[in-house]
Amino acid sequence: MTSELDVGMGAGGLATADMVLNIGPQHPATHGVLRLRVVLDGERIVSAEPVIGYMHRGAEKLFEVRDYRQITVLANRHDWLSAFSNELGVVLGVEAMLGMEVPERAVWLRTLLAELNRVLNHLMFLGSYPLELGAITPVFYAFREREELQAVMEEASGGRMHYMFNRVGGLKEDVPAGWLGRVASAVSAVRRRMPDLEALIVGNEILEARTRGVGVLDVATCTAYGVSGPIARASGLDIDLRRDDPYLAYAALFAPGGPGRVVTRSEGDCLARLQVLLEQVHVSLDLADACLDTLAMLPAGPVNQRLPKVLKVPEGERYTATENPLGFNGYYLVSRGEKTPWRLKLRSASFNNVQVLSQVLPGCLVADMVAVLGSMFFVVGDIDK
Amino acid sequence: MSPLPGILKGLATTARTAMRPTHTAEYPDVAPDLPPRSRGVIALLEENCTSCMLCARECPDWCIYIDSHKETVPATTEGGRDRQRNVLDRFAIDFSLCMYCGICIEVCPFDALFWSPQFEYSEVDIRDLIHEKDRLGQWMATVPPPPALDERAAEPGEIAAATKPARGAGLVGGAGTAPGAGATGPGARMPRTVRPRPAGTGTRPPTPREPLTGTPESVPDDTPPAAGPPADGETR
Repeated sequence: MTSELDVGMGAGGLATADMVLNIGPQHPATHGVLRLRVVLDGERIVSAEPVIGYMHRGAEKLFEVRDYRQITVLANRHDWLSAFSNELGVVLGVEAMLGMEVPERAVWLRTLLAELNRVLNHLMFLGSYPLELGAITPVFYAFREREELQAVMEEASGGRMHYMFNRVGGLKEDVPAGWLGRVASAVSAVRRRMPDLEALIVGNEILEARTRGVGVLDVATCTAYGVSGPIARASGLDIDLRRDDPYLAYAALFAPGGPGRVVTRSEGDCLARLQVLLEQVHVSLDLADACLDTLAMLPAGPVNQRLPKVLKVPEGERYTATENPLGFNGYYLVSRGEKTPWRLKLRSASFNNVQVLSQVLPGCLVADMVAVLGSMFFVVGDIDK
Repeated sequence: MSPLPGILKGLATTARTAMRPTHTAEYPDVAPDLPPRSRGVIALLEENCTSCMLCARECPDWCIYIDSHKETVPATTEGGRDRQRNVLDRFAIDFSLCMYCGICIEVCPFDALFWSPQFEYSEVDIRDLIHEKDRLGQWMATVPPPPALDERAAEPGEIAAATKPARGAGLVGGAGTAPGAGATGPGARMPRTVRPRPAGTGTRPPTPREPLTGTPESVPDDTPPAAGPPADGETR
């Protein structure tokens, strides 16, 4: 018997040798070009190392030679599933450094669009994660709902993915007539049809068997690796910047009695992470409804500020963190009073979230690797920047 | 644990959905219904372009190419001064580089660039994605009028500027012409630019969602670059 065959048979009294298995960079479960270097002992993973950087575009360096409007274009691209939230961090930081007051109507519209973007992002993963586990059907239902919301996003901003709708001081332009009504019907349509998607995921024995107790992530590892967002909350880390460090209109929405609430689980396994995502969709739809109610009562007004021809941010530095759909997204802006930033450091959620794979994967079976990998809900553009 | 209940539940959902009308559209046969703000392609209204290069400079990845030269226009009156004007030789957008951000359209001070929802211009050769000014001009026929704004929106800048009293209106013997009343008074200026009609002033009702039809050639020319009535005595 050759030694290769021993490796294939794994444990069981036979002598085994560790095998290095290369996953990616083109594995479909990696949502882009993530590479995993996995050392296997038979069917069991001994160690795993995420190898990143295949998609590095040097976004931070590109920011330094662009003005703030051009930065918005680039910033919405690193995590292509949460473009609106990405733009938001840049403009909030610049506005804070300028001491600029944003019109109330713009604040509420931004909150509404950010929550719709969160639903879009979560629906993508609610469709793709079962797909990675072998369930093909849920993705069609998820994309049907995504289409509903993308239609209203496109009607307002003109884009389906890269909205480019934020400007320093507000939004690019006001929304079209009747748009708020169409958002309300889109939100209610998505809420009405969510049970279709849930019926395929929640309580499905096969999905539970694949995910329950698999890839357990504890709170200590979460904090050690800076894991945030739905993944950290699935491990019981009760932290959400919308409530804990409110920006936009979240202070009002997350006030006692408001529709906002932070979804947590304590199990920390793949199933808990999926459940958090699913419940957050419902919370975000409620928040969107609350925004629509408020927008209907606000007085008429502008959605942006008049800006100077050349926008220069005063000298100084500021770190702006927002709760992106996938976790904390931060921009550390250092300005030397020029029209371009001197430095704009980007802290993206997926970068930290994916590092934890080196702690979660060892001990798992190869068959569970894709389940764990998919449940980390990352976008490779957000890792490599 | 038997997987059967989950499978049956899933099949029930599928069966229920199969009874409902379809959500999909057979794309090449059924044109998608795109909103007027949809960012499909950039159209150029060449008459309005002064080759000021603002769009080319503000483009985040510099995919706009402009060549121009100066021509001298001889004086029209006796003893007058010869004038110089820019003549546009080349205006090209490389859509293989374009990031569809719309900054060029936003910064254009003379309304020479517009978004069109038209998207059917894929090419086999990447070099054919550079649209020269004649091709960019053809897209103008597909530019829809902008949608009417939400009832609680502040009035658009153009209207606010047009309703603002003209400069010097309060002076003695005021040259203050009524805004939009045409160029009669000495203080009024001829509008320098032509632009498509905004929604609501056209002959058609302002439909918030324009159905997209066909290629630029086949589109009925119902949204002309209205060289028509100078609706506003706006000053820029």
